[in-house]
Amino acid sequence: MTATSEKNTKTATRRLTQTNAIIEAIAQEIRRDERVFFVGQDIGPFGGSMQGAKGLYEEFGPSRIIDAPISESAMVGAAIGAALFGRRPIVEISFGEFLPTAMSQLINQAPNVHYMTGGAAHVPVVIRTRVGDGPYGGHPFDYSSWFTHVPGLKIVMPATPADAKGLMIAAIRDDNPVLYFESMSLAHGPRGEVPIDAYVEPFGVARIAQPGRDVTVVTWGSMLPHSLRAAATLASEGIEVEVIDLRTLSPWDHGTVISSVRRTHRLVVVHEAWVSTGFGAEVVATVAEHAVTDLISSVRRVGALPIPIPSGHLRPLVLPNVARIVEAIRQVLERGTT
Amino acid sequence: MTLSRTLGTALGALNRHWFPAGGDEATMVGSFCDLRADDAVAPHYRDPFIVYLMRGAEMWRLAAQVLFKGAGYNKGRSVPFTGPTHLRVVPWVAGDLGTSLGVATGAALAFRQTSSDRVCVCSFGDGTSNRGDFHENVNLAAVWKLPIVYVCQNNGWAISLRASTYLPAPIAARSTGYGIPGIAVDGLDVEAVRSVVGEAIERARRGDGPSLIEARTRRIHGHNFSDKATYRTAEESSGVDPLDHFASRLLHRGEATPATLQQIQDSVSAEVTEAVERAKAAADAGPAELGLDEVYA
Repeated sequence: MTATSEKNTKTATRRLTQTNAIIEAIAQEIRRDERVFFVGQDIGPFGGSMQGAKGLYEEFGPSRIIDAPISESAMVGAAIGAALFGRRPIVEISFGEFLPTAMSQLINQAPNVHYMTGGAAHVPVVIRTRVGDGPYGGHPFDYSSWFTHVPGLKIVMPATPADAKGLMIAAIRDDNPVLYFESMSLAHGPRGEVPIDAYVEPFGVARIAQPGRDVTVVTWGSMLPHSLRAAATLASEGIEVEVIDLRTLSPWDHGTVISSVRRTHRLVVVHEAWVSTGFGAEVVATVAEHAVTDLISSVRRVGALPIPIPSGHLRPLVLPNVARIVEAIRQVLERGTT
Repeated sequence: MTLSRTLGTALGALNRHWFPAGGDEATMVGSFCDLRADDAVAPHYRDPFIVYLMRGAEMWRLAAQVLFKGAGYNKGRSVPFTGPTHLRVVPWVAGDLGTSLGVATGAALAFRQTSSDRVCVCSFGDGTSNRGDFHENVNLAAVWKLPIVYVCQNNGWAISLRASTYLPAPIAARSTGYGIPGIAVDGLDVEAVRSVVGEAIERARRGDGPSLIEARTRRIHGHNFSDKATYRTAEESSGVDPLDHFASRLLHRGEATPATLQQIQDSVSAEVTEAVERAKAAADAGPAELGLDEVYA
């Protein structure tokens, strides 16, 4: 279970998929706040890409659930403008591969508004999108790392249904632009206990998904289940892997990662995006700045191979998997001096 | 218009990278002068200060922005042509063109969602009209019937390029593709612009959707004050001055005399001098405005 607040643990739960948890979060916030609306392609009667908006149109109708032309830049720009004038939009960019078509609004506009206006204006906009491999195989490219470079954006990437709901509600209530990345492999994947009531999961707080003493694995999104399986594989050999789910990449929880590395002295970072200049590099660099003397082994980064993500039978050869995570963990253990 | 020209000239003398609005004054004044305080404005970046002044901005604080002083509305952080958001100005927070159309369209979306009769007027250049954001936003506003007026300040130049190299047809004619009114107007004639844009504003207020106005203006100066525009012929650099145009009309109609026009110029000059001197005396933006804690709201 997620380390939720005391209030949350008291509420009744039931098992939901990540997608259903996100839809519930959006619905609860639209009910709660008349300023919140949802705009995107196919989110109306169609029910959303990957059924990601199912039921919302039926409950809220076309004034709150707005089907838009295929105009990502206009959608994000209009969301920024609507937010400047008192609304709280959620924009659905159906798949992360479409983010580049709105890049100027995402990079040049949204993150700059508060700072560049001398703090006078703010833009509470949520950009919801889907990345990575998934049940339908389409649009697998994961560009989440690009956006972590930009001050002014907040970046969320949940790995459990409970986090998906609590982080979406936090994103909608946040006064800043938030990019919310859904890992498609988790969309209809493992169900998890999700509180019925609305609740907020704070940004910048990692979760120790599994405690362990021998090696720290930092991961998020789609790679959490793979990392936990890798940990289970090694547990049978008596190796204790501590798995940390970052949950948000901007801000991210330096403290939990550094204190874990100080205990385990070994670090592996796992994400679905490409390794080179992926966010894992930032995690490793931060550990090197603050705790390099605690490391007794070189670190390992696990991610997609440095090629465009191919389709079909080739894709599993490119993406990280349990075997590659296990191998990386073994390498840092072998290189250790203890 | 006199104020715009006088202030712009004074600022250009202090910051050679300031973008002169010379030739666009009639279009800016005519497009934005009839809006209500609760409407939104999103003017083009080329010295839009006259628009902000019509909204009630303090002249010396705008001047301070051009001098990168901490007293600017932007605390000396952004491009100097950004406007004060509390006056419902869509701010310039980046240097790229076209994205302001998206933000302006969003203001209109907010007005629509709150069932108000507020409108947004958004102006942009002829160069900007070739950004994809122009198409996406005019199309979006047309299909959603948003209360917005798009005014293209077509001065015939995109920095060094003449319009014949990037505009195959009149910009107003594009409106046909979006099923909205498209009107070309003499952008050097403030009354003509005011009339055409005013009609489009009323249409937007009624809930009948957006309009596209192409105001044909001139760029009297170079791209900025340091640009000598050597790429233009003498003929291309000459033409009607919108200030002279309106002045002679006022004189002809007996609504002004040379003396009253001189009085206006004198009083504007004094006002500008005072504002610019106050801005010059203000402190440069420094560590106090750096704002490491103001990246996030």
